[in-house]
Amino acid sequence: MLLLFSLGAVGFAAAGASIALALASDHVTHPSTQSALMVWAVLGYILAGLVAWWRQPDSRFGLLMIAAGFAIFLSSLTWSNAGHPYTVGIAFDLLPAVLFLHVFLAFPTGRLGGWFVCSLVVAGYVVAVAAQLVGLILGGFGPNNVLALTSQPDAANSLLRVQLVMLSVLMLAGLGVLALRRRAAGRPLRRSVALLVDSFALVLVMVAVLFLSGAFGGITGQIAFETVRRATFFAIGLAPLAFLVGLLSARLARSAVGDLFIDLRSDPAPSELRDALARALRDSSLTLAFWLPEFGTYADLDGRPVELPPSEGRATTMIERDGMRVAALIHDPALNDEPELLEAASAAAGIALENARLHVELRARLEELRGSRARIVEAGDKERQRLERNLHDGAQQRLIALSLELSLLEEHLEGDPDATAQLDEARREIALSLDELREVARGIHPAVVSGHGLAVALEQLTALAPVPVRLIVAIEGRLPEALEVAAYYLVSESLANVGKYAHASSATVEVNRTNGSVVVEVTDDGVGGADTERGSGLRGLADRVEALEGRLRIWSPLGGGTRVRAEIPCAR
Amino acid sequence: MRALIAEDSVLLREGVSRVLTDAGIDVIDTCETADELLLKVRSYSPDLAIIDIRLPPTHHDEGMRAALEIRAKHPSVRVLVLSQYLELGLAMQLLADSADGAGYLLKDRIGDVKEFVGAVRRVAEGGSAIDPIIVSTLLSKRRSEDPIDVLTPREREVLVLMAEGRSNQGIADVLVITLRAVEKYVSSIFGKLGLPSTSSDSRRVLAVLLYLRA
Repeated sequence: MLLLFSLGAVGFAAAGASIALALASDHVTHPSTQSALMVWAVLGYILAGLVAWWRQPDSRFGLLMIAAGFAIFLSSLTWSNAGHPYTVGIAFDLLPAVLFLHVFLAFPTGRLGGWFVCSLVVAGYVVAVAAQLVGLILGGFGPNNVLALTSQPDAANSLLRVQLVMLSVLMLAGLGVLALRRRAAGRPLRRSVALLVDSFALVLVMVAVLFLSGAFGGITGQIAFETVRRATFFAIGLAPLAFLVGLLSARLARSAVGDLFIDLRSDPAPSELRDALARALRDSSLTLAFWLPEFGTYADLDGRPVELPPSEGRATTMIERDGMRVAALIHDPALNDEPELLEAASAAAGIALENARLHVELRARLEELRGSRARIVEAGDKERQRLERNLHDGAQQRLIALSLELSLLEEHLEGDPDATAQLDEARREIALSLDELREVARGIHPAVVSGHGLAVALEQLTALAPVPVRLIVAIEGRLPEALEVAAYYLVSESLANVGKYAHASSATVEVNRTNGSVVVEVTDDGVGGADTERGSGLRGLADRVEALEGRLRIWSPLGGGTRVRAEIPCAR
Repeated sequence: MRALIAEDSVLLREGVSRVLTDAGIDVIDTCETADELLLKVRSYSPDLAIIDIRLPPTHHDEGMRAALEIRAKHPSVRVLVLSQYLELGLAMQLLADSADGAGYLLKDRIGDVKEFVGAVRRVAEGGSAIDPIIVSTLLSKRRSEDPIDVLTPREREVLVLMAEGRSNQGIADVLVITLRAVEKYVSSIFGKLGLPSTSSDSRRVLAVLLYLRA
């Protein structure tokens, strides 16, 4: 911290020194304007660099910016009237341009990365400093040059031109690198970052233009050149400003994380947690996936499995607590540019996420339970269906064939009344067995439902009911088999109860569709007061209906009849 | 009289075939599936198709669907459906438009050869054969102020036999009464129930069934 403050103080001293130099100079044409632009650039880089260094001491990016600031200051030594400072100023006159290149290409990590980019920057330093020293030795840059060993100003001027052209080329190459990087990222940059990179590009272009006009339009004294120089200095100062604006906006984002803390104080439901996180991260597309170790999968808020990593164009941030997987944030990839924001929001939501994970785990278990209940009912139905078919295809066919045989035998025995009578008796027995068999088979599984549909099956059921029944079936075609079977059992059991307890004079059975559900309703005009827990019949029906995600409700006010109503979701 | 049999149980297929052949009915072919049946109905144009309501592959409603298709596309082919289970709804589905040349019997009826052959002949000749249990199921439907209650016991017996699809002569034979007596009962029943009298046996079957079902 002390180091930071002393560097800042040195920076202010340097800025003051360059103002003094400008005012005292005998060769600065507009001291106030030029010194103001100098201070704008010097302080901009030094202060922004100090802030960057303070935030991320491990990154060299801040140091590079501070170096650029001081290099700009060194170049202002050329305003000095004395030989030695002037010579030092000239030696470092071109250095700031290369430092800008270095800073911009090293954003945001402080490292250049890649041999090409490195060689661009190294070439820049050689051209800006080493070649400049050669020019000084050759005796260029006027009489105040204290390094001149020979006096060949023409050669020095030519060398300077070559340097300026080469540096312009390097600037433009740097511009190309920035553009390529932006394209390779393949997604729009966050606004603050985009602003910063744009300001880098502007500086590179301006410096290139400045150097080229310097190389081909005379070195000093022309009005056009002076205008370009001022515009360039102004642009140079914009880059650190954009950097500070970016930091500020990230800071604001983190204050949204503070709101997140407040939002999460009251143990939010999983969906509220998602909304709060989406607000804090300013990403309305945010979704959450919770890790369910028992199921070995991630699940969404409803407990349904989620595939990770998600589809292209989305990014995932994993959240762990105490080394255990908790959840994953699935968000806009642009958020990856703000790892600190993600980290802060994840940390803030930690406990809430863990709670939400438990909620989701519970939901997944319920979902699984519901599925297994449906499977149990379904498996039971399949088995009953198999039994019913075996009875029909086996025992029933054999009994019928036997009765047929007896009937044929009877024809051969005509004239023997005793034998005929016995055969008739046997056939009656078989007929009774067949009746019983049919009842048993129907009790096991209503084959007519799976074979011919609910409407056909209900006709017989209502015809056999103990009271007159009005049957209204307002559905076209077939419904899913499990639903038809459930509806059949519901009507069957309800009509049986009407016969046993209701003392009703009539009943109505109605099947229709409303809002994506099939509604089955059995109403009677009996005494009501039905005990809804009575026997296992209604309980079993509720199980069937609920296994299909439906709802069974019974109204039975004393003296007001009984209404049994099942609503079962059905898409088709 | 030429008949086709569609039945997937060998035992019953052979049994029915033998019974009908013995009764002098020409069983021109037998088959096991509904597709086969429809193909043979097209190529043989039989007088009658006897169809098990459950046929492969799913043993659900293939037989019934084939029967309805034959009724719609080949009106000259009469259809007798044999069902394992007793379903009023199925019988009404089969008779939706008319009871002419249509029958719905429980498989059990095969065992009573004389009755069964009689029903087969009735259907083949354009009449109808409705299983007695269907009729009694309809009669068991209780309703308030039922006009059925004003029928005499004898009239009820006649009503049931009528609804099964029997002719006046057939009813006379079963009840062992004269044809004239049957005619008297029939017109009395139609009068009491307020049904328009009709000449055709099968048309009155449907009229009675629909009356009872309502």
